[in-house]
Amino acid sequence: MVAEEEDLNCRAASRLLSLACERPLDAMELRALKVHLDECLMCTNFETQLRFLHKASQVFRDGG
Amino acid sequence: MLLLTAMTAPTTNPRFAEIESHRGYLVRYALSQLRDPQLAEEAVQEALLAALEGIGKFDGRSTLRTWLTSILRFKVIDIQRRLMTERANVAIDDERLVEDHEAWLDEMFDETGHWRSPPQAWNDPEASLEQRRFWEAFEMCLAGLPSTASRVFFKREVLGEDTPVICKEEGITSSNCWVILHRARIALRMCLERTWFGRETAHGR
Repeated sequence: MVAEEEDLNCRAASRLLSLACERPLDAMELRALKVHLDECLMCTNFETQLRFLHKASQVFRDGG
Repeated sequence: MLLLTAMTAPTTNPRFAEIESHRGYLVRYALSQLRDPQLAEEAVQEALLAALEGIGKFDGRSTLRTWLTSILRFKVIDIQRRLMTERANVAIDDERLVEDHEAWLDEMFDETGHWRSPPQAWNDPEASLEQRRFWEAFEMCLAGLPSTASRVFFKREVLGEDTPVICKEEGITSSNCWVILHRARIALRMCLERTWFGRETAHGR
């Protein structure tokens, strides 16, 4: 049986993905996130979009 | 504007036009932070004056726009501090503000914690960065955020400030800061998906 803290839903996974933009995640958070992302295309898309938002913001600062 | 023109006519400062050409961006920046056209104009005005005075110190290591923005940032922070002092009771809204953000996040997921509006695979997002109309959509989505979320996101992602610094400036706790940033990111991704990437990804993987 998977430990409860590893059994993330999309809500919790998205929160961790966003949090990862602010501070490094710890080992348990990373493991739980990986388990979720391996199975969830929607959250994988969200992760890609976060990276894009970050990059777009940088380009925006430098003049769009 | 009148003041600036009167004090430093183009003929007296050869960099005037170059500096002035960034005004549009600077006003947008100030507006995103201050949410008040008059205050934004005041900040830009002061920043441009300071820039003209200090242009000799600009060493060209960053772009002129980045340098101007860093000057403007301090002017904006000065004004924000002034506003904070004027409205000393502003902090009482901190708790309620975060409750609002949490309630908004609740709406984004169903009872089992699944996305109500699942993120799609965006088609070639890098190519969008080259398109002027993408930036219009980006700015519109940014402007559509609640003011705190917009301001915090701008400081974090556009200016690259550290989260603890931002939280301190905003007078909120780190965890509240994170919730606000999380909301901003989800709202922005939804807005861009709706207004920009939507049609392309209608049949997204």
